[in-house]
Amino acid sequence: MKKITDERLILKNLKSIRGAYTIQTLGILGILGYDWITRGSEAVFESPLWFIFIVSTTAGLFFSMDISVSHETPKRTPKKSLGISTIIIALISIAVGIFVSFSSKSDSINGLIVGGVLFIVVLIPYIYLYYLRTKQQD
Amino acid sequence: MDNRVKIARVQVNLTQQQLAEKVNVTRQTISLIEKGKYNPSLNLCLKICYAVNKTLDELFWKERD
Repeated sequence: MKKITDERLILKNLKSIRGAYTIQTLGILGILGYDWITRGSEAVFESPLWFIFIVSTTAGLFFSMDISVSHETPKRTPKKSLGISTIIIALISIAVGIFVSFSSKSDSINGLIVGGVLFIVVLIPYIYLYYLRTKQQD
Repeated sequence: MDNRVKIARVQVNLTQQQLAEKVNVTRQTISLIEKGKYNPSLNLCLKICYAVNKTLDELFWKERD
């Protein structure tokens, strides 16, 4: 296929991809919904479609962060924002870790793992936001 | 958006197809620009200006309503 050089067609193509993505997402949600009704929630979480749905939604959220950062009016410096976010995430992760440690069927190692994973997973988007905010300031 | 692309193109004896080839777009895009139904990017505006030997002002400038 010939490479598209016409900017109008490039834009049209992007809009078509957006439409196709919406249809695909609705299809995935439809199949997952059907699975949920007929086979229960366990079957949904084991389905590879669930994995695709989560990965594509997360990717979509990360891409839209760039747009959110462009829209926001900066109240604090990016460094200060990241610092505050890190402290809050750390406090929440510690609280969750302690809760898991003291709950039945779990030990302190489990609490440490759950707290640590939660801290890292929640911190990653904030580090990306920090990167976008500093890039925007340049 | 109203513009004077069609007049300028006719002045330099170019067809829509020839202008389209010069600026790397399709004939339909040139047609839509001339009708004012598609707003080209600044980059494409400049390419059109170079192709018909006119300035941006001459082709696209419009007084505020």
